[in-house]
Amino acid sequence: MKIYSSLKSGFLRTLNAGKSILIVWFCIFILVLVFVFPLRRSLTSAFGDSMITEKLADGINIEAFTDLGPVFKNIMSFLTAGLMFTFLAGFLLNSFLTAGLFGSVKNDSMKFSPSEFFSAGALNFKAFLLISLLITLIIDFGFILIVVAPAAIVSLSETASDKSLFMILFITGVVFLLVIPLMLLVADYSRAYKTSDPAVSAFSAIGKGFSLAFSGFRRSYMMMLLLIVAQIMLGVIIVLLLPAWRPVTGGGVFLLLIVSQLLFILRLFLKTWRYASVSSMMNEITAEKVKDYVKIDVNQTETVLPPATEGV
Amino acid sequence: MKIRLVLIIILSNIFLSLYPQIVNKKPLSERITGYRFDVRLNPDKHTVSGDMEAFWVNRSADTVPDIRLHLYMNAFRSNRTTMYREMGGSPGNDEKDLGWIEINSFSDQNGADLIPRMQYISPDDGNKDDRTVLRVLLPQPAMPGDTVFIKVNFETKLPSRIRRTGYSGDFYFVAQWFPKFGVYEPAGMRYATKGGWNCHQFHATSEFYSNHSVYDVRITLPSSHVIGSGGMLISEKADGNMKTVTYRAEDIVDFAWTAWPGYAVFNDKWKHVNITLLIPKDRIKQAERQLKSVKHALEYLDTNVGPYPWPHLTFADPPSTGAGAGGMEYTTIFTSESSYFVPPFIHLPEMVTVHEFGHAYFMGIMASNEFEEPWLDEGVNSYWEQRIMDNYYGKNSGLLNHKFLELSDIASARISYVTSPSRQAASNNEYSWNYPHDTYSMMSYQKTATWLHTLEGIIGTETMNNVFREYYRRWAFRHPSGRDFINAVNDVVRKEHGQKFGADMNWFFDQTLYGTGICDYKVSRIVNSKYSKPEGKTDTADPEAGAWSNTDSLYTSKAQLERVGEVKLPVEVLIHFDNGDEVLESWDGKERYKDFEYKGYKQIVWVKIDPEYKIKMDVNFINNSMTTEPSKAPLHRIANKIMTFTQFFLSIMLL
Repeated sequence: MKIYSSLKSGFLRTLNAGKSILIVWFCIFILVLVFVFPLRRSLTSAFGDSMITEKLADGINIEAFTDLGPVFKNIMSFLTAGLMFTFLAGFLLNSFLTAGLFGSVKNDSMKFSPSEFFSAGALNFKAFLLISLLITLIIDFGFILIVVAPAAIVSLSETASDKSLFMILFITGVVFLLVIPLMLLVADYSRAYKTSDPAVSAFSAIGKGFSLAFSGFRRSYMMMLLLIVAQIMLGVIIVLLLPAWRPVTGGGVFLLLIVSQLLFILRLFLKTWRYASVSSMMNEITAEKVKDYVKIDVNQTETVLPPATEGV
Repeated sequence: MKIRLVLIIILSNIFLSLYPQIVNKKPLSERITGYRFDVRLNPDKHTVSGDMEAFWVNRSADTVPDIRLHLYMNAFRSNRTTMYREMGGSPGNDEKDLGWIEINSFSDQNGADLIPRMQYISPDDGNKDDRTVLRVLLPQPAMPGDTVFIKVNFETKLPSRIRRTGYSGDFYFVAQWFPKFGVYEPAGMRYATKGGWNCHQFHATSEFYSNHSVYDVRITLPSSHVIGSGGMLISEKADGNMKTVTYRAEDIVDFAWTAWPGYAVFNDKWKHVNITLLIPKDRIKQAERQLKSVKHALEYLDTNVGPYPWPHLTFADPPSTGAGAGGMEYTTIFTSESSYFVPPFIHLPEMVTVHEFGHAYFMGIMASNEFEEPWLDEGVNSYWEQRIMDNYYGKNSGLLNHKFLELSDIASARISYVTSPSRQAASNNEYSWNYPHDTYSMMSYQKTATWLHTLEGIIGTETMNNVFREYYRRWAFRHPSGRDFINAVNDVVRKEHGQKFGADMNWFFDQTLYGTGICDYKVSRIVNSKYSKPEGKTDTADPEAGAWSNTDSLYTSKAQLERVGEVKLPVEVLIHFDNGDEVLESWDGKERYKDFEYKGYKQIVWVKIDPEYKIKMDVNFINNSMTTEPSKAPLHRIANKIMTFTQFFLSIMLL
């Protein structure tokens, strides 16, 4: 029930945070456009007035691209550098935007204005950056420890078969995937806690994040799994729809752009739902702790105070 | 008396083994050489040792004073051998890592000890540390028609760092493992101007050259090992924890074998051919793919080139620890390359299988010299591999067949050639180890295949098939040279097309095989000029008045074409007009530029040189066409998808 109530509360909070989601979408759209727009210009200029683009009607044609010669190498360099730059800039931007989003969904009654979104983003930017960085490093280190190291050890063996290596990769991969929701919980609880109490440091928030993740582990983990499943379902729809959709007219391409952006906004909605549900779950866990604390206090007073004071 | 007895035993043994036909109904080759082995695999020392009896027949009119033998395994003796000098690295420092072949005794048919007459020579580079070629001065020169018999006791140590041959744990791929005759080439054979041995050292990039031979091989090895070879299994006898297997192989150029306890054995049949697949037990799911692909190759080459004559074929998929043995060919046994899991849309295992099987034809049956003309086996074989892959696995998806990404095998070869920065560094006509700047693979495999596809585009697929049928008819179980292949092309093209392409096709080979130029045709401009009426003070009447009823909408349209590269090939040009008309023009491609001009009530919309992309050698297909109405939609779509991908990537990767 607590999972359901958190998800429901999270969903309502997310609906209230519609404007914030649109701000996040717009910022990421602009960031990516900075990289993609010159790429698009380079591609159209490289192919010029050639009809080889007919070969691209059915999808990527490697031969057509490699015929670009040195221009292809330049485009690939631009693509690689652009992706790296976008990722790094995105990391910084994401910390700011996520802080704004957590601010938008921190309680049920929030009516959030864009200015409040940006002020929440600015207030917690540094702490969110640190939390994201540390949790990302923990995940990366975990990947090396759980997946890479066993596979490397097995592959060094002279008698190792392909199957044993594959099985090791499969099993450790599954283990790693099971660890991911936990790390997401820690990250989300840390950030939700930091949002609820801006005075605490990032490290304290991470400590609290671990504490919250494990204090209500079963329900938190189950809730996170459900939220991830929802995101995976959207991912499946996207993978089935977008790559296979190959419009060849200008209007079709524009429609593709609109649909893909709507899907991305939906993705942001689901991610915000995750933040909001975790925030809601944190409120519940915290409330329970307060309740427990009060109960203990009441029991203690029972032995001290006369019955007339019960219920105070 | 003793010598005579030895002679009788040797002669009777060899003749008894060589004359009866066991594998084929009649001899397919001249059988200038023949071998008989009785050897033992020692799994502790990783050695193969025992006796070899062999003969070489002097079919030339020359008096030959010596014989020459390849001792390929000596390439693994140290890092100073020619092979390791060329490729860098080292076979290792430990005795267990090295490879070598030691000759313990060497005698002729009279029992004469030939060891004092042995001399290691390095005909290619003079490298004294290279012991891969052995010259043995005969006590008496071999007269025309003489047969030289030798008896050798040898021990071969297999290397641990497998490069085509060697061991890894209890896996063995045993190739180039015995003293093997070079090829004596009398004057007039291939490029020989005088008689002599063609016996090159073992190079990093080169392969082999041998006579078609008969092999009788007895191998004793641990019973636990599953064995496969290029021969037909005659008998198998167990003796305790060891077993002895006997093989017979006829008319093949090399004998190799493999042994490993981890193999699973699959048997299949295609027409008269019994197919055996040895595959690691954990890869048995891949067996069906492998067997299917080899049957495709058998069917295609049998139909379009010539029959596969042997009743047996074995191929092995080495384990990953023995991957260095993968992708190699020994006519009736070859190795593929696979792994436990290869997604079905990736056809790399099939490609390797088809390629290595194809070598049964191109150097197995048509036994060209792989040292000196690698294009004639690797290039020609790659051409057929690509045709087979694209025929059976999809015209655009021979190599990669995913709904989001396709790649044909032919395109893959062309990409390799087109994108190579050293594509003009040398011609195709080089000895394998002489290709500069690491271009051996690109030049001998991919460039050759690309110009063969171009030749097919010019003369047509059926003529190309007939060229190879003729090449097979003339040169099966002999030693063709590149010149012999060109002669087959010239004769067939002349017979089928008359003088359409000139007196011969040498102009093509001069540019592609022997030349270093690139082929690149481009459409430089489309000009649609509205007819301008005479204005001002003109002395002549309007030249178009009367000829055209309405000069207001009269256009002069030009398609301006250029030859950018040095290679001159005939091309077709397709021109499309705004009223729907299309004109297919021919251009001999010899001049640096060519204009096609039209006058009428229509304008050119687009021009395509080589509209069907037959001239695969053209290094840039992008400039082959031009349109006045370019469609940018596919590029914008790709850019949009990159944007969406980046957005989702950021959203997923960032917490």
